[in-house]
This record gives sequence, structure tokens and C-alpha cells, in this order.
Amino acid sequence: MGTTTPPRTLAEALRARGDESLARLLRARPDLLSPVPNDITQLATRAGTRASVVRALEHLDRFALQTAEALAVAPDPAPYGTLLSLLTGDGQDDGDHRDDAGAAITAALPAALANLREQALVWGEDERLRLVRTARELLAPSPQHPSPTGLGPTVAEATAGMSPGRLQEILTAAGLPATHDPVSAVTALAGLFTDRTRMAALLDTAPVEALSVLDRLVWGPPYGEVTPNPTPPVKWLRDRGLLLPVSTRTVVLPREAALHLRAGRAHRVPEPVAPTVEAAAERDPEAVDRAAAGQAFTALSTIEELLKLWNGGGPAILRAGGLSVRELKRAAAAMDVSEQVAAFWVELAYAAGLLAADGETDERYAATPAYDDWLELPVQDRWVRLATAWLAATRTPGLVGGQDAKGRALSALGPELDRSAAPEVRHRVLALLAGLPPGTAPDPAGLLARLRWERPLRTGARGGPATPAGSSAGTPSRAAGTGYSAPPAAAATAPGDTSDLRSRLALWTLNEAELLGVTGRGALSSQARALLAQGPGEAAARLAPLVPEPLDHVLLQADLTAVAPGPLKRPLAEMLSVLADIESKGGATVYRFTPGSVRRALDAGQAATDLHAFLAAHSRTPVPQPLSYLIDDVARRHGHLRIGSASAYVRCDDEAVLNEILADKRSAALRLRRLAPTVLAAQTDPASLLEGLREMGFAPAAESAEGDVLITRAGARRTPPRSAPTPVPEGPPVPDDTLLGAAVRAIRAGDTAATVVRKDGAEAASAGSLPRTTAAETLATVQAAAMTGSAVWIGYVNAEGSASQRVIAPVRVEGGFVTAFDHTADEVRTYPLHRITGVAELADDTGA
Amino acid sequence: MTGPLIVQSDKTLLLEVDHELADACRRVIAPFAELERAPEHIHTYRVTPLGLWNARAAGHDAEQVVDALVEYSRYPVPHALLVDIAETMARYGRLTLSKHPVHGLVLTTTDRPVLEEILRSKKVAPLVGERIDPDTVAVHPSERGQIKQTLLRLGWPAEDLAGYVDGEAHPIELAENGWALRPYQKQAVEGFWHGGSGVVVLPCGAGKTLVGAGAMAEAKATTLILVTNTVSARQWKSELVKRTSLTEEEIGEYSGTRKEIRPVTIATYQVLTTRRKGVYPHLELFDSRDWGLVIYDEVHLLPAPVFKFTADLQARRRLGLTATLVREDGRESDVFSLIGPKRFDAPWKEIEAQGYIAPADCVEVRVNLTDTERLAYATAEAEEKYRFCATTATKRKVTEALVAKHKGEQTLVIGQYIDQLDELGEHLNAPVIKGETSNAQREILFDAFRQGEISVLVVSKVANFSIDLPEATVAIQVSGTFGSRQEEAQRLGRVLRPKADGHEARFYSVVARDTIDQDFAAHRQRFLAEQGYAYRIVDADELLTES
Repeated sequence: MGTTTPPRTLAEALRARGDESLARLLRARPDLLSPVPNDITQLATRAGTRASVVRALEHLDRFALQTAEALAVAPDPAPYGTLLSLLTGDGQDDGDHRDDAGAAITAALPAALANLREQALVWGEDERLRLVRTARELLAPSPQHPSPTGLGPTVAEATAGMSPGRLQEILTAAGLPATHDPVSAVTALAGLFTDRTRMAALLDTAPVEALSVLDRLVWGPPYGEVTPNPTPPVKWLRDRGLLLPVSTRTVVLPREAALHLRAGRAHRVPEPVAPTVEAAAERDPEAVDRAAAGQAFTALSTIEELLKLWNGGGPAILRAGGLSVRELKRAAAAMDVSEQVAAFWVELAYAAGLLAADGETDERYAATPAYDDWLELPVQDRWVRLATAWLAATRTPGLVGGQDAKGRALSALGPELDRSAAPEVRHRVLALLAGLPPGTAPDPAGLLARLRWERPLRTGARGGPATPAGSSAGTPSRAAGTGYSAPPAAAATAPGDTSDLRSRLALWTLNEAELLGVTGRGALSSQARALLAQGPGEAAARLAPLVPEPLDHVLLQADLTAVAPGPLKRPLAEMLSVLADIESKGGATVYRFTPGSVRRALDAGQAATDLHAFLAAHSRTPVPQPLSYLIDDVARRHGHLRIGSASAYVRCDDEAVLNEILADKRSAALRLRRLAPTVLAAQTDPASLLEGLREMGFAPAAESAEGDVLITRAGARRTPPRSAPTPVPEGPPVPDDTLLGAAVRAIRAGDTAATVVRKDGAEAASAGSLPRTTAAETLATVQAAAMTGSAVWIGYVNAEGSASQRVIAPVRVEGGFVTAFDHTADEVRTYPLHRITGVAELADDTGA
Repeated sequence: MTGPLIVQSDKTLLLEVDHELADACRRVIAPFAELERAPEHIHTYRVTPLGLWNARAAGHDAEQVVDALVEYSRYPVPHALLVDIAETMARYGRLTLSKHPVHGLVLTTTDRPVLEEILRSKKVAPLVGERIDPDTVAVHPSERGQIKQTLLRLGWPAEDLAGYVDGEAHPIELAENGWALRPYQKQAVEGFWHGGSGVVVLPCGAGKTLVGAGAMAEAKATTLILVTNTVSARQWKSELVKRTSLTEEEIGEYSGTRKEIRPVTIATYQVLTTRRKGVYPHLELFDSRDWGLVIYDEVHLLPAPVFKFTADLQARRRLGLTATLVREDGRESDVFSLIGPKRFDAPWKEIEAQGYIAPADCVEVRVNLTDTERLAYATAEAEEKYRFCATTATKRKVTEALVAKHKGEQTLVIGQYIDQLDELGEHLNAPVIKGETSNAQREILFDAFRQGEISVLVVSKVANFSIDLPEATVAIQVSGTFGSRQEEAQRLGRVLRPKADGHEARFYSVVARDTIDQDFAAHRQRFLAEQGYAYRIVDADELLTES
């Protein structure tokens, strides 16, 4: 924009940026766009809000974040050189490898800084770099939020509020000229700490133990706990201001001193370069593609198997949503996989739209119509559908079996399984895999390290904004001996730590990719590469030649098994799975013929001749004699006995009479069928049959189940067994002693409340109405009562809105709550102050 | 897409036998996979942890196993399965049993947490002694077998490097005059000797006794041979005298009638497991000499008490011989862990193809019961049903017709129920051998049968094992021990010895249609069908009309 005056605010800096650059900012931080800001000033304001800055910081890679952290401990504004030396160190400490790292940092810093500028986290020209104030607050060390740098507050911050006398003592002990002005005293002390030579000289005089104490604090956390009578080395350090008091028991190593000890470095390990993903194994790319294709094929048959299992009515949906653990177990057993893996398949079918709730009143899961369409697709397209759905899904089956924040079990297909980060992590993992040469399986640990570098977890941000101040990392723990805390594990994310969601998502992605055949033996397959880079069409084309061609034959063996040495054509597979039991699955399928399975086929409407023809047509080998014999033998007996249902029957020894009935047109309504010469079966109930035959002029008699003639007689109607009613006594049950005692106490206390002579306001609260005082007055009165230990009378409205009067003796008043002994209830209770309508003191003589 | 092997997800391997690479493939998978079924086209092998550990013990590593699968597999091998194989094999050898100059026998580990884990097991605690150092614990030498068995069950098999005692030396040579060990017998002996201890599985009639003799000639040490009964013991003795340098005087018989302990002693399971007042008085036999080799004949019948004694014999070489390692009690794994892994196994059909056992035609004859018999069967008590349908008169008539059909051929009629056999014997005019027949009488009858003086012999289950009837060409089974698969195999074995004129043996099973007899028969036949002996099923009426 050609202006020469440096920007004075972030808004000015933004205003000076080109449209392209602003667009990039908005792309990187889309939250700034909702709603669209009115002007640059508003944009700058919004870019500086806490929520937005936190979000932007969370999206930084590790080195950019380290740069921002370094800026947060640097003077504001900071020149580029200062920033660089905070990252590389001032070259005072050690040797060659440091130089390599330094070179890498020097090379990487401009890009990191550009990134921060782009995101409007840093502004100003190189000589006056400014970190956005909110970011500075978030990243600068404070006792509540320790910085990942492990640095403490500056001398000025740490000595704020220290008595001038104490400052003088420190100056004297440190060998500095005395001054009465605290500001210049602090400056002098800070000056000493930042001066390399003088500081080195001062430390040379330090006792060895003191140096080891400093060693323990130098990389953070900088806080240590001290006993009231510290050991001599600690005392030595405290006297010279190298440890400054924070509270009576805690001291801190000031930032300037720590930086000296660290040779000027803000981070112990700056990580300017992303860790490379190492190869764990190199495999033949073709073998990888084949393995992945094999697994893809398995994936399809597993999904088919699952939905086939649920064909005749799937599992019921839990009231809270999802699949019960038992149903998941059952599905897992049917698919012959672990429950975790079963959850993956179920979720995958759901994500791909092949499975859904049926929406009936008694809701169950069932396959969708899309499933039937899917089944008709060629193998490769079916796989592409699954893989595409998987890539985009936010559902995370890996969580199944765990618990949510409230301790409720997370069930498959249930709510709470969506994790918005999942697709992004999945894509990132696959992109990293794609970055490796074909056939290379990555080392998962290296992969996780890389992901963590790209999106590090900010220390303190892990527990969310609700983390109470001064928790874990900020609270020094006491170590025996020196009276100092040993630093706890410095970084929140140790390299091997896989408990954070992104790492877990990444690990799940690797597992799921293998299950789905996206990877084969750990390496990304070329079909998956095509899916990521070129899209579904290309992926399907790559997969197609790798999928085994369905076969149309099996091998029959004399031990009554059939082996399909590969996938079968669908009609053949369906027929065989009816005719025989599946004994073993995998690349091939082993079927076993049993009398039961053959009967099943006959039940399904096949005739023995059909079965013989079917086997002869599809067997590559002659049909073994025992198998033919088995089919004939089962067929011989099949259908020998016939079963049907009838509502009533007519039997008569005289066949002619039955002939007559059947010939009569009026009998058509009775739906009679002749089973034997002397027996007719009817589809009408016995009563209607009797009635119908009587109308036709016959005189039928009813028969009992044992065949006796039933004599009809008007029977007296009876209820099923019933017990006599229990007597209902008058009035409530007689109370027991405990209840009586409690009642009396309550009545007495209520009485006290109603009749006490109040110091003031008594007339206002007459006749049972609640006392009313202003909030301030209430607070003051209650606090006074707490101090004096006297009882007060309050009006109180509970959560349901009902009002009551109570006499309480306040014990404590804090945080908007009164903790008090309630004479009415005879126990200690806590009352929110805002629910107390008013308060009145009791006359002294009646105080309980 | 051309390999002969298909790897299934349930860890079975299907091998297409007609494939040109089938033989090569069989050789590489044999060390770690158990042959489970060998019907005509596709053989099924199973990969078990035990098999993988045995492969490790024989010096194969996971890489070789994975390579073998990947190389011969027609379809991609599931990655999870490969990982599982590698992990399973890696469990072997973390623990080793070895000799220690001071403590006798010690268990050492290369992976301390494993030792900690197993020492916490209640089953291991009583078997081990003091902890010598963090990686070593003493083991009572007498518990060597027990601890191996227990560790195997815990999934951390120990590698046994403690070796074997040589035993008392005794010169034994094979007397190969006019005969020689068959190639597969040689392989079996070598496989056993190389492995130290183990089981050799060979079909009936394939010369298991000679494998035993071969092993003795390798050991050249005093030998204890455990057999099922006295007749079998005598046959072992005469065979050993004939085939080796041993003389009658060097071989002792330790049975109910004789108690001889000689350099080579043949004892029956029965006498060993005789119990008097809660103790086994004949157990001292195991300790009576410094045996260099213990042979268990028909190891699938090894009675439970002998398992326990065997656990104490882990320092001696052990050879198990059997035709079928199918135990109806499911204790196959005990046989493997106490006697040793399977060292040699050959599909029956393969040996038949080499001409060492006779080809057999197995026929199931389905008999239609008469209406009265069917009604009686339908109303019989559940526990009497099998006996009833197995012994019907119709079956007897069919059996008689079968015997008549094979008139002039050496025929065995085998059954379960004595009264049925007596009746058959009466109708066929043939002698009956049953439990109460004395040993002397049995030998006379067997001899007469061998000489061809009598051509039909009716036998009960006493003849199931180890009787040598060289010229039986027809066997007719009328009833059996319910669905016992190994009994079926043993009975078929009666007719599998090669015939002088090379003609086919016949094995009939007479079965009553639509009864429990038929179900049991199906179960019994399964083992043989899986060995490639396909049964033809014939209706009795057809069979009788055609003859």
C-alpha cells in the first residue's frame, strides 16, 4: 500500500493488507466471518477476542506456536533479532549440533512469522513485532496458566508489591548500588540478570547446591515450595533475588534469570521442522494392492453378512438411542470379529446409508432401500461407496464401549459418537501415508508425532477453559531434602502419549483403513491413492482388476463338503447357503451338507431332482455317491407327514352324508375340505360350523378334545381367581416415634420463627408474611450473624417456588451462598443468597 | 491367483491337491499346520498355536511360516492372521527349561514380565522351587512334564533344553534280511529321533511295530513298550524277535499272567493301571530299570493314570504310535504335551497309493426294518434304542447274506453286543471270540483263521486293536461303540494289510435305516471320509437282489 508510516494498531495493520491477504486471513479463521464484520476495526476487534484467538492458536503448528510463545515472553514490541535469539539461544552455551538447529530455526522462522501475521496474531514490521494482546495474555506465563516455555514472571511482575526494604536487601546482597526508588531497583536487578558477564560472575560465587536447585527450576515449572526455614543454598538464592517469593511457601525463578541459565532460549527443544514419517516396512506395492483388495472384498462380504443377519428384523433401538451391548455382541459373534470391529462395521453401514432406523413405533434397525441398490453394483463401486462414506464420516466407532463425560456408556449407532475432528484427522493421516512412496507402511509412532507437531495441544488448553486456576501443573509439589519441588513432566503431551482425541482418531484411522482395505499390510493402496487424488471413478477402475472373478463352480467331496475355491456368483452362493451349512469362510468357502441343510432346501421349494441337477451343473467333480444318496434319502421322507391348520372338523362314519354336505351349495361358506373319506376339515369355528350344519338340516353334535360328545348346558360365568379386597383403614397410618420427634421439632422451630420478637421490621413481617429486605441488607445482616454466631430469621423461596420461613444460624457466607445451621430442619444447610427474600435478627432472648 | 493354498479366516488352510504346486506346498506347511481332513480334492490343514510352537521347536521361525503362506496362497492372506502367527510364535522360547549344576532343573526367561506372570499362576506355584535370580527359578525335576503341560495351557510354552538321559545301553539292531524299512517308516523313525520324543501317526496295517523297532535300533538302549492287551504284547514280541537282533530271552512280558522285567519289556496298560487299596502296585515298573526309550502303542487309548506317570518320565525318550489321534475324550493336546508333538503323519490314501496298504471299498448297507421292528424301535426306552436297532433280526439276515455273498473269502464279522454275536456265530456256524475267550483259545482261533482253516470269524470289540489277521479281506461291522470314530478306523484297519493277490478289501457297515444307528454310523464314518475313504451307501434290498 505504499505507506511509510508503521501501523500503530492491529486495525491499521489489517487495513494496510491487500484484499488477497485479508481473504487468506478469513479462510484461515472463518469464525471471524460470522457475522460479517462491518469494517476493519470491527474485524480487528473480533480477531482479538479470546474465543477467536484460542481457536486460531489451536490451529497453529508446533513451530508457529513456539514462535508465538517466544513472542509472549519477549518485550512488547520485540525486534526480529530478539525473537530469533529467543528461539536459537544467544550462542553462549554449546557446540555444533546447536548450530544445525539454529540454522534450521533461522530458515523456518520467516515462514512461521508470516503464518502468524497472516492469521492476524502478530502485526507490526520486523523491528516492532507485536503479538495480539489476547494471545499474549493466553501465552504469557502466569501462575494460573503455566507457559509451555516453563518460564516464570519477570522480575518486575514478581516483585510487584514487595516492600522497598526487602528490595534494598536484595540489591545489597546482589552487590548492586542501593537506590530508594523501587522502579529503578527493579530495573537494576533485571539489568543484572540480563547482563551475561555480571550474571555469570554472580553465579560463580553461588554454592554448588544452589546451582542444582536452579537446575531443577530452569526448564520449568519455575515454582518451588519452600519451608519457613529454607536450607542455606535456597536462602542464598532468595537473598539475591534469584528466587522471588510468590506466597509464604512458594518462590519463583524470575524470567530473566531463567533465560540466562537457558542461554537465552525460550524453549528447551525448538522444533522448527516437522518430524518426518518414517517407514516401518517397505513392501511390494503390488502385494499391498492385492492385500488391500482382498481386505476390501472381505469388507463387502462382512457388511452383507451383517445386514443379512438383520434381514428378518434387526435389533431394537435402545431408548437412549443405539445398539445394546448384547446385540453388538451377537452381531460380533455372527461376523466372527471382536466387538470393537463389529462396531466399526455397523457404523460404516450406517454412515454409508445402508442401515437405518425403521421409524416404526417399536423402532428397529434395518437395511435401507439404498442397500438393495448397493448390492446390485459391481464390487469395486460398492467398495468405493463404503470408502467415500468412511472418509467423510464424523462417526467414530472407536469410542464405542467407552464412556462419555457423564459416565454413560457409548453404544454403537448411539448419539454422542460424532467427533467433528474425525474427517480432518482421517484425511491428514491418509495424506501423510500418500506422501510416502508406494508400498511403504509407516511407523505409527512417527505418524502420531507428526500429527502432534502439526496441531499441538496447548498446555492448559487440554482441560478446556473450565480448568480451575492453579490446578495440577501450576501447583508445586513438595520434594523432600531441599524443600523444592521437582519439576513434573514438563510437556502435557509426552511423545508416547496417545490419550488425546486426535492421536486416538489417528490410530483408529490406521486400524479402520486396514479393515476397509484402504491400506494393505499397513501401506496405502493405489486404489485408495486414486480415491484421494482423482476421485471415485479412478479408484473403482484401479480396484476392478484386483477383485477376484466370481466363480460358477464348486468342488464336491465325499465327506459331504463342497469347497468354493473363491468368491461365488451370487445366485450360486445363495442357493448353496440354503442347501448346505457354511463351515469356514475366507478366500474360499467350505460348505457342509447335512440332512438338516438338505431339508431346508426342500422346504424352500426345491425338488430332489432340482438339487441333483444343480449340483451336477455346478460341480467340477463328479457328484459323490453319498451326497446323492443323502439328498434322495432326505427327499424320500420330506413331506411324508403333512401339517395344516383347521378351525373345526366334521367326522361321520357314513361317507354318503359327507358327500351330501360337500355337494350342498350352502356349505361353501363353511370352507370345508375333505381330508379322508370320513373326515372334513373346516376353516370356520366349531360354533358357526354347528350352526351352519343345523341350518342345512343336519343334527350335528359337538365333540370334546378327547372325542366325547359335548353336552351343552348354560354354564354360570366366573371370573378368573381373585383375592378378596384388603380393608382400607380410616385416616393415615399411626406415626412412629422418630417421625413424631421430628414433627415436634419442626413445629417448635416454626413456632419460634413465627413468634420471636424481632429487632426490627417485625411489624412488616407480621401475620406469617415473609420478611423483605434489600439484597445488600440481607448480605450484611447474614454476614454479621455469621461473625457473632447468632441466629436470624429468614424468608426463603425454594427451587420449586414455594416460600417458607426459617430460623438459621449462619456459619459461613461465600460465593453467594450462606451455610448455616437450620433450626427448623435441625441440620446444616446451604442457601443461595438470591433465594432469601429477607432477613430479620432475632431478639436476643429467643436466639436458639 | 495361481497358488494351491487358500487361507481361511478361521485359520484353516485349504490345499488343492490336484494343483501342480500342491506337493511343494504340503512340504512347507506340514511343519506348522495339522492335516485335519484329506478327502479327494481339497485337503484341510489347521494352524494352531500348538502347531506353531512345535514348528518353533523344530527350528522354524515366524518369517518362514509367513513366507510359506504368502508364497502359496491364492488370495491375499489377511494381515491380521499373519500378525497373529508372528505373535503366537514369539511366545515360544521366552521360557526355557534347562539343566543346572546346583539346582538340577531350572526355568529361565528372557522376558522377566512373562516369568512374573506365570509365577503368579496358582497352577505353577506348586511346581517350582526357589527363585535363584530375577530371571531364573528352580523346578523340581519330577515336575518337568507337569510344568511343561501347565505352561502350554497358560500360553507360554517352555523350550525344553534339559535333554534326555541315555538310559542303560543295550545292543539292538534291525535284522533286515530279505526285508527293509519302507521309506515312510524310515522317515518316521528319523523324524522321531531328530525330535527326541513324539507321536508317529500311521494307518493300521502300515507297520507301526517296525517304526517302534526302528526307534529301538536307533536308541540301542533298554526299552519299555506299553501295549493295549496281552495278545498284542505277544505279537510285539514275535515281531521283534523276527525283525531285530533281539532274542526271546531279552524280551520280557509284564502282564496279568507274567511279570518279567528284561532289557526290553512289554507291559499292558491294564496291568499298569490295576489299582489295589488306592495305589498302583505295578508303577515301579517305570523305575525298575534305567529305560532309554518308552514306546506307547495305540497312544489314542492311553488311559488317564498313565498320563500322570508319563508326566514324570520327561527325561526319557518317548515314542507314541497310533493310527488315529482322534480321542473321543478330547485329550489330544495332553498327548502332544506329555509324549511329544506329532513327528510324522501321512494321509492313508498316500500310503495306499504307494501300495503298502490295501485299497478298501467301504460300503454302508442300509437295511429297512420291518414294520414290527419299527414300531418296537419307536416305543423302546431311549437308552435301549441303539442296542435295539443295532441288533435287529433284519440286520442279522442281511449280514448272513453278505457272508454268503463273499463265500470263500476270509471274513470278519465285528460287533458290539455279545448275544448278537453269539446268535450270528450260531447262524453262520462260525466261532466267536469275545472277552471271556481265553488267550490260548484266541490264539488257536486266530491261527486257524490265518491258515485258512476257518474262513469266518465273529469277534467282539476285544479284537479292535493290534491283532494281526493278514488275510482278512472282508469285514462286516454290525454294531459298534455308538459313534466312536477311532473304533471305525481301527476296524477298517483289520482289512488294510496288503493282500497277497493285491485285490481290494471290503468293509461293510450294516446300518438300520431311519434310526439312531444311522446317525451314529454317519458320525463314525466322518473320520474315514476325511481320510479319503468315501463310503458308498447301498440299500440292502439292491445288494441282495444283485447277488
